[in-house]
Amino acid sequence: MRRKILLAIAIFVTCVFMSLGATAHAAAADDAYNKASSALYAKAKQEGELIVYSVWDVEHIVAILQGFSKKYPGIKTTYWQGRNPEIVTRTINEFRANRPSVDAILSDNAPPVLRAAGAILPYETVQKEALLIHDSTMPVVSLQIQALTYNTKRIKAADLPHSWEDVAKPKYKGMVALDDPMRAGPLSTQLAAFRDSWNDEARWTAFVKGLKALNVPVHRSTSAMFRLVIAGEYAIAMPALLHDVMNEKEKGTPVEYIRTATPVVFPRYAAVYAKAPHPNAAKLLTEWLISPDGQATLDSVGREASRKGFPSKTSIENAYGAGTQPIAVHDKLFMEDPTKWLDTHVKPIWGGK
Amino acid sequence: MATIIWRSLTLAYRQGVFIPLSSSLIAGSLILTPILIVLFQSLTTTRLATFVGFTTENYLRVFTDPEILPMLSNSLVYATGSATLGTVIGGLLAWIVARTNTPGKALVELMPLYPLLMPPIMKNIAWILLLAPKSGILNNMLREGLGIEEQVFNAFSLPAMIWVFGLACVPLGYLFLLPVFLSFDPSLEESAYIAGSRPMNTMVRITFPLALPAFLSTFILNFLRALRSFETPVLQGSPAGINVFVAKVYDSMAIEYNSGLATAYSTLLIALSIAVLWFYVRTTRFSERYATITGKGYRVRVIDIGRWRYVTFFAVFGYFLLGIAAPFAVLIVVSLIPYYDYETFIGFFARMDLSNYHRVLNHPSFVTGLYNSLTLSLATAVVTVMAGIVMAFTIHRTRVYGSKLFEFIGTMPLAFPPLVLAVGLVLVFIRTPLYNSLWALGAGLFVAYFPYALRNASGAIVNIHKELDEAAWVHGARWRHVFFKVTLPLLKPSVAGALFYIFIEAIRNIDVAVLLSAPGSEYGPVTLFDYFRVGQWGEAAAGGVIYLLILIVAVSAAKFVFDVKFSL
Repeated sequence: MRRKILLAIAIFVTCVFMSLGATAHAAAADDAYNKASSALYAKAKQEGELIVYSVWDVEHIVAILQGFSKKYPGIKTTYWQGRNPEIVTRTINEFRANRPSVDAILSDNAPPVLRAAGAILPYETVQKEALLIHDSTMPVVSLQIQALTYNTKRIKAADLPHSWEDVAKPKYKGMVALDDPMRAGPLSTQLAAFRDSWNDEARWTAFVKGLKALNVPVHRSTSAMFRLVIAGEYAIAMPALLHDVMNEKEKGTPVEYIRTATPVVFPRYAAVYAKAPHPNAAKLLTEWLISPDGQATLDSVGREASRKGFPSKTSIENAYGAGTQPIAVHDKLFMEDPTKWLDTHVKPIWGGK
Repeated sequence: MATIIWRSLTLAYRQGVFIPLSSSLIAGSLILTPILIVLFQSLTTTRLATFVGFTTENYLRVFTDPEILPMLSNSLVYATGSATLGTVIGGLLAWIVARTNTPGKALVELMPLYPLLMPPIMKNIAWILLLAPKSGILNNMLREGLGIEEQVFNAFSLPAMIWVFGLACVPLGYLFLLPVFLSFDPSLEESAYIAGSRPMNTMVRITFPLALPAFLSTFILNFLRALRSFETPVLQGSPAGINVFVAKVYDSMAIEYNSGLATAYSTLLIALSIAVLWFYVRTTRFSERYATITGKGYRVRVIDIGRWRYVTFFAVFGYFLLGIAAPFAVLIVVSLIPYYDYETFIGFFARMDLSNYHRVLNHPSFVTGLYNSLTLSLATAVVTVMAGIVMAFTIHRTRVYGSKLFEFIGTMPLAFPPLVLAVGLVLVFIRTPLYNSLWALGAGLFVAYFPYALRNASGAIVNIHKELDEAAWVHGARWRHVFFKVTLPLLKPSVAGALFYIFIEAIRNIDVAVLLSAPGSEYGPVTLFDYFRVGQWGEAAAGGVIYLLILIVAVSAAKFVFDVKFSL
């Protein structure tokens, strides 16, 4: 009993220190933002315009740009929306043709590829202390959080897996839907994150082999796969995105996520284009997106915050509990050349199509 | 090449067909330029987005890829099955509408057109919900109604893929074959009747063989569409481990961001396209054999098929049910419930609300996107169809050296997956002031849909005997008299069908529009496809229902109120 009380006190003290630390970091970041943003705003107002390319839903981009315009009037905003391959194709070709066509790129997979091609202007945010994941050349404004998700009507609580690795057990054969690990999608992202995090090749290989041995349907559309899990076609989605799960839960959809499976996170960047016609407006947008005001706007459209300790329904603290350490993707090769990474590490185990 | 063009132009001038040849050359150049650019790109290597040198690495990778053959084999089975299903059902519907005394004429004419209005991805999703093994509506109904525990239907199988895409191919078959059946000289059929042949026997032995060029032309279009189609294989094939060849092209773009490699993979599709086109040209090289509109005068004759007319009515109605009514009903229910599972679907009265509709109608780009695309699609359809007819005229009605080449050039865009073609188009315009303008987008849509216009006109023009033009030439008519007073009026039914088809396709274009539209100007109901892409099927279904209702009301009003003839 005494030991339990001591443990509880220790956890409480750790949490207090952590939150105090986070608050101190946040306060420093806020100060830096206030200084930087006023300087950037003055220059951005002279530029007068901001052009954004984004992979996010049009509704989200519109809400974000409206929030930005409200805070910083006098800058005309325009957007273009496409998928990652379209963003990369368009931007690289414009870069080659020397066109000053875009200022900021809001996306997950596209910015690292564009950076590798030299089409990104390195910019380090002044609020780096406040971020869960920091990249010194492209500010991380949001996170993609993967959750192990199941249909509550299709599987009993007692039968649930407790971790990602559990899913590879033979008892889940016929119950799981897998995202295609041989494409640059959520599952391959997860595999890249685990390989780094575990630093144990034998364990990682056994995991991939276990998934392969399930011989279950492999989906190339994660969103369609998630819908089929909700429909009851499969019991478990490997994986789903946390903001989708939270949105569905609000509607009363029979889905739930497993809190004991550590969340896997991938950065969503706001990158500044190398030939941006309005670079200060682009930098101001990235700083505003990381600020509490910008993060609240992202949260209002259901996007996960990238700021430590930000109170949100999709934050790791809220979804998984305080002190949860997510597993992040750091593998440079995976970020910049996913095919090469997949061919080197996954293909020898998984095989071809 | 320059010598050939110069020689052809000189000859064309002497023959009085300089204008159609030069127009075809302009259209051909517009089509060929983006294709040549991406082919060139596939032979180059870049570093940090700048040109470094030439390489054959992309092609080496393609031709040494061990996964290609099984994928290609899946693609061929899938494309042949879908194209056959679509062309045969489309042809049968066209014959029923054009040549039989099936009751309810106005309705029967319209019923096969409605399924065209539904975008293929919406059909995919509706059919997945209908046919999914465990959660599908039909299997659950069989289990609950008849106690059949076995999963009879499987959305994730090759037959289901062929079924869904085959149904999507039917409207094109119908629209492109209807004018051919409408412009038949009935004297051959009458001879068969006099010799004692029954209507069905005549149809199989006389009517259909005469329509062979148009059938082949439509089959080729549907085959190439299926070969490069991506949504059906991704949504229905991948879960069953059925991977098709075009996935390689998309992976090259989506994972490697390498349009050169994607183009190298596309060359296999080009080779296949050339092979099927060569087969078509060989089969129809004695085109006079298939000419059914001659100088002897022709009139459309409706055949009395007796009691069979009720069977044909139910055949058209059956297609209407499967082609649009059933998937549309599924989408309506899905748009009204918070999420789909069989339980919620069946008890939807208790759970229905209009929140999905509310969200779609309040979307910032739904209305503007739809409005913007209407005008451009209409203009694209008119220009493309006219250019297609002029090129078909040049191919089949002039004796210009090398004119048959246009048959290949004009059909080539179909061999390129849309994203690869769009890259070529971007590269054509990116260094010009036209980039980010409506002109570039219009030109892109023209290139993307030109094959439909050409194949439609080509298939129809072969059915018109040369003697009609020759009579005009002999009497000293210039090409414009022959074209506008003889050929074009006889092609009127085909023109209407192609216009309608290209207009509907262009309205919902995403792949070309997305790369060529300027920031801040939405094109098409992008919202609708965004919802599908991010997996919000409820909102996507609501958007789809609104979009479909607008088009169905517009088409019906055009037909019944303004008496617009889409194909007659």
